[in-house]
Amino acid sequence: MSKELVDAVVDMREEDAVKIAENLLSSGADPFSLLDDCREALGIIGTRFAAGECFVPELILAGEMLRAVGALVKPRIEGKSGGAAQKKLGKVVFGTVEGDIHDIAKDIVEFMLEVNGFEVIDLGVDVPVAKFVEAVKAHKPQVVGLSGFLTLAYDPMKNTVQALKDAGLRDSVKIMIGGGQMDDQVAAYAKADAYGKDAMAAVTLSKGWVGAK
Amino acid sequence: MKIIGEKINGTRKRVQQAIMEREAKFIQDLARSQAEAGADWLDANAGTAPQREADDLIWLVENIQAVTDKPICLDSANPAALEIAIKAVKHTPMINSISAEPHRLTGVLPLVAQYKTPAIALAMDEKGIPKTKDDRINVIRRLLGETRKLGIADNQLYFDPLAMTIATGQDNGLTFFDTIRAIRKEFPEVHITCGLSNISFGMPARAYINRVFLTMSMEAGLDSAICDPNDHEIRTTMLATELLLNQDKHCLKYTKAFRAGVFNRPQPAGAKA
Repeated sequence: MSKELVDAVVDMREEDAVKIAENLLSSGADPFSLLDDCREALGIIGTRFAAGECFVPELILAGEMLRAVGALVKPRIEGKSGGAAQKKLGKVVFGTVEGDIHDIAKDIVEFMLEVNGFEVIDLGVDVPVAKFVEAVKAHKPQVVGLSGFLTLAYDPMKNTVQALKDAGLRDSVKIMIGGGQMDDQVAAYAKADAYGKDAMAAVTLSKGWVGAK
Repeated sequence: MKIIGEKINGTRKRVQQAIMEREAKFIQDLARSQAEAGADWLDANAGTAPQREADDLIWLVENIQAVTDKPICLDSANPAALEIAIKAVKHTPMINSISAEPHRLTGVLPLVAQYKTPAIALAMDEKGIPKTKDDRINVIRRLLGETRKLGIADNQLYFDPLAMTIATGQDNGLTFFDTIRAIRKEFPEVHITCGLSNISFGMPARAYINRVFLTMSMEAGLDSAICDPNDHEIRTTMLATELLLNQDKHCLKYTKAFRAGVFNRPQPAGAKA
């Protein structure tokens, strides 16, 4: 556990964070502990974001720092296992539905899910119904997240849920929706399991569904 | 500078409620206050499900027309709702919007040609919003190829180069200004418009970003904006920028606005987050 690394990431000092990570590794630190440090830092940043004290560009920078440290750590942990960073709570397949190209909110929710221990499979924006079905078949997630900003997204959400049902996959996943024009009524219309009003709600819902605290 | 008043938009929760509960006074007040503040068009977006959108749009049109003669900017991607609404308006409306997406080309563009309306044209196609200036200009060229084929005059079109938030790409402002300049150079007849608040999505203290963005965009060639004409920051910034760009003969708009109290700070003062 390196407070130095956690602080560097939380304070948005990208170069310092990478340098500290390099030093830690060359002095023999457990590579998994670096990932745990990043997780801790991103958790703090996520909390600040939810409180309106930290902003989208900082989330993006934090994500870049995580990737940079991850790239340093990766060659040293391949083939090994251990550390809290390795244990995922569950898998979430996530995407913005067909006809809608909004990505900012989607990226924020994915970030918060990852920070909170989920493996997120990002399908991108304007995701055709069939691609969701394929992804659920391939990755066997516990949760599917459908994002959409516009009222035009209502029907694609409904169609996506229906397609999962037709493919016999509906009972294997919980489905949450979110985005600009969404609410509980739209969730009912689309026959999703729940609506989440923000990124933390998506985390809480997903944790509940996988039986995490 | 032409202003398209943005407030009557059903994707805003309070307006959606007014539409659902048929609160005529709420919509009429929004229409009147925007008209009095100098809006040139009033945007009307029902934002409701396709099967009821036409009825809701007509209801908005009726209530706007009950209090003002300003033309309406019909805001929908639904050709059936648009056509019914076009027939219900007293003054030639603006259509919001066309783009190079196939469903808008086949559904909305023919209405613009048939009813000879001005239209907002988005610089995007089925693949989304192009990242670079050059790719956006290519989409605009393609779109103008289609509109010219149908006999639509270039000056009927209000191109929206589509501002993306600075929060996710720090060059998004520069790309936007470069795109405006490139449109101005290649297609001098077309108008250029945009919403003023997307640029600051995800950032704190957004009002400061929005008003400097307005000034820089106007200097690059923006001649219309989709905004709240009652927003003090926007309105005063627009007046000052027009003045500095020699778009205000004898400074009359500015001095008249001063006498009308437009520059008096509203309460509470300061920039909103």
